[in-house]
Amino acid sequence: MTAALAEKGAHVPAPADGETPPPVEGRTRRRRPADQPPRWQIFLPLGLYLLFTLIPFYWMLLFALRPAGSTSLVPWPVTFEHFEKVWNERSFGTYFLNSTYVGIASMVMTTVVALAGGYALARFRFRLKNAFMLALLCSQFIPGALMLVPLFETFRNLQLINSVWSVIIAETVFQLPLSMILISGFIKNVPESLEEAAWVDGCSRIRAFLAIVLPMLRPGLIAVGSFAFVHSWNHFLFALMFLSSQDKQTIPVGLNTLIGADSVDLGALAAGGVVAAVPVVIIFAFIQKWLITGFSAGAVKG
Amino acid sequence: MNQDLRRRARIRSLLALGVSATLALTATACGDSGTEAGSEGDGKGKIVFWDNNGGVRTDVWKKIIAEFEKENPDIDVEYVGIPIADVQSKYDTAIQGGGDSLPDVGMVGTAYLANMVAQGALEPVTDRIEDSSLKGKLVKGMVDSVEAAGGQDGELFTVPTSANQGVLWYRTDLFDKAGLEPPTTWENFYKAAEELTDKKNNRFGFTIRGGAGSIAQALEMMYAQSGIDSFWDGDKTTVNAPENVKALEKYAALYNKVTPKADLNNDFTKMVATFTGGEVGMLQHNLGSYTDHVKAFGEEKIDGLPMPPSEDGGPRTMVSNPVDGLGLFKAGKNKAAAWKFIEFAASAEMNSLWNESAGAIPAHTDAADDEWIGKAKPTKTAMESLDDPDTRIVQLPYYLPDWNSISKADTEPNFQKLLLGQMTAKEFADDLAKRLDAAQAEWKEQMG
Repeated sequence: MTAALAEKGAHVPAPADGETPPPVEGRTRRRRPADQPPRWQIFLPLGLYLLFTLIPFYWMLLFALRPAGSTSLVPWPVTFEHFEKVWNERSFGTYFLNSTYVGIASMVMTTVVALAGGYALARFRFRLKNAFMLALLCSQFIPGALMLVPLFETFRNLQLINSVWSVIIAETVFQLPLSMILISGFIKNVPESLEEAAWVDGCSRIRAFLAIVLPMLRPGLIAVGSFAFVHSWNHFLFALMFLSSQDKQTIPVGLNTLIGADSVDLGALAAGGVVAAVPVVIIFAFIQKWLITGFSAGAVKG
Repeated sequence: MNQDLRRRARIRSLLALGVSATLALTATACGDSGTEAGSEGDGKGKIVFWDNNGGVRTDVWKKIIAEFEKENPDIDVEYVGIPIADVQSKYDTAIQGGGDSLPDVGMVGTAYLANMVAQGALEPVTDRIEDSSLKGKLVKGMVDSVEAAGGQDGELFTVPTSANQGVLWYRTDLFDKAGLEPPTTWENFYKAAEELTDKKNNRFGFTIRGGAGSIAQALEMMYAQSGIDSFWDGDKTTVNAPENVKALEKYAALYNKVTPKADLNNDFTKMVATFTGGEVGMLQHNLGSYTDHVKAFGEEKIDGLPMPPSEDGGPRTMVSNPVDGLGLFKAGKNKAAAWKFIEFAASAEMNSLWNESAGAIPAHTDAADDEWIGKAKPTKTAMESLDDPDTRIVQLPYYLPDWNSISKADTEPNFQKLLLGQMTAKEFADDLAKRLDAAQAEWKEQMG
């Protein structure tokens, strides 16, 4: 602390060996630097924003945990009847497993293919590379709904309609452009000389990539993988259109079936929302450090 | 060496391309071979059934299917529940994608029936009904609605199963406490809406539908108040008739005066949640939300009435609500079995079971006197008002292929402008009328 104060120009007598340093002019708290705003000016807007963000979640928990017909603003007495209903009667147990399967498969496929494509973009020079990058970016402007009928026909011809693989492939394809661009950014961060050193030591390009580059891409892989998982987990359109059998449907479709033509079971809908949100919240809680590092690292390198 | 490697790489690429193309072509051939789309079949085997209100009606359909399979052990019915909000997209995508992914039987509402008929997805069922136990047993009003919605004279494309009707739901406890008369007249309705409003204490007399689905409800309020009994006057719509504009003005003026401000974005979910979750006196919705109201308040605190007549003691004017029905798909591979299922599901017993669960009006005439209808007072009142020979039904033009886009995407934003005072009722009605007149003219031209 004395060092910090000394840096700011305050007069601090040097303590003798073994002596406790005297308090600075009777104050023990660090002074706020003059160029920083007061704490309340930072925390008040952040607090309000947090409240604004959390209220819908509270509302969801409230409806999920209070009995049907209750108008209480606190979830008391707590009931789990809505969770029981969606999990057992509305087949959310099956939807959950399907969503997990689709999410993990899309995540693995997206990450593996994006790694290969991203490496090529980062390390190789080839004709029309910039045009290819531009095409990847432009593909992000195409909404999935626009491709629905052509994709449907393609999967029908491949006999993949009503197979979860249609959803996995479609999700992977739609997520690849952004994932490849991000991964290429991460790979550019890894000095090429490290790979070259490995080559000199006798490694092949693939071995050098696996042994040297890949371990350094951990934040990037976590960012891209989690992004792919969450996107697949939440995506509704492809699952609705390509899958018909009840036992193959995913959670977003299941959630929509809780909204009827003229009536809606808000308790069940909220419980379904909690079931859908919990895995995503847990994933983000564990990986947020790598996620932010990963995205910022991938974003700054062109 | 390098050249050799490049040549090998090129060969590998070509081989990969060739294999991919072969696989794709083989798969295409597999997909197209061996199907018997459109065949009558032997009345046995598996059929696929799409429910257009999946989730909410899953339980009752599973019961009906179980009963059917018990009576017809040779037929296996696969149930597929589709979320109601996306059912039209699901049907459209399957039709555009070649049609062989369509089900054998599907629930189809009149709101999108014309669109499916125009795409040639459904088989006419008029003759099949004539040759079945359903002959003469379907409510005439619903048969007329289905026929009109299909857009082809004398031909039915679904077997009607149920109808809905607009209802004024009101909280009997709040009315009693305030000493108000039930909203059996428009005067009572507007008076109660004002007197039950206490904005400071977050109490409101009414909740209005300002978001998705607002137009159908606004039309219901307009025609019921104006008493105009036809949607068309020659080739021009009556939507912007002065009586309708006046009624619309009164209705829109309720917003933010006796309703919550947040109603601007109300779809039916939010509107029903506003009603069931707070101190709101009245709600205009259909019979379908009855179970939600009972769950929230109990039977003793809620009642529903048909739209009041335009003049005290006069006849009621109601707009036609969508009629649900069972459609037989042209591309089905086992139509005989599919028709057996339709006939069974539309039978008096099953139709009654389904409508009891949905709180809707059964299409089978023999189901009309079932015990549950006597107990479900709003459903009984709705049926009585429909059966009243003086009641006039305004048939909405569900047959127009553009009806859904006009009454939703094109006009709903205008309704919000009207509520916010950025548009007058006349401007709103004239714009809607212009679109409807153009769509009607186009449809007539197409139909020759």
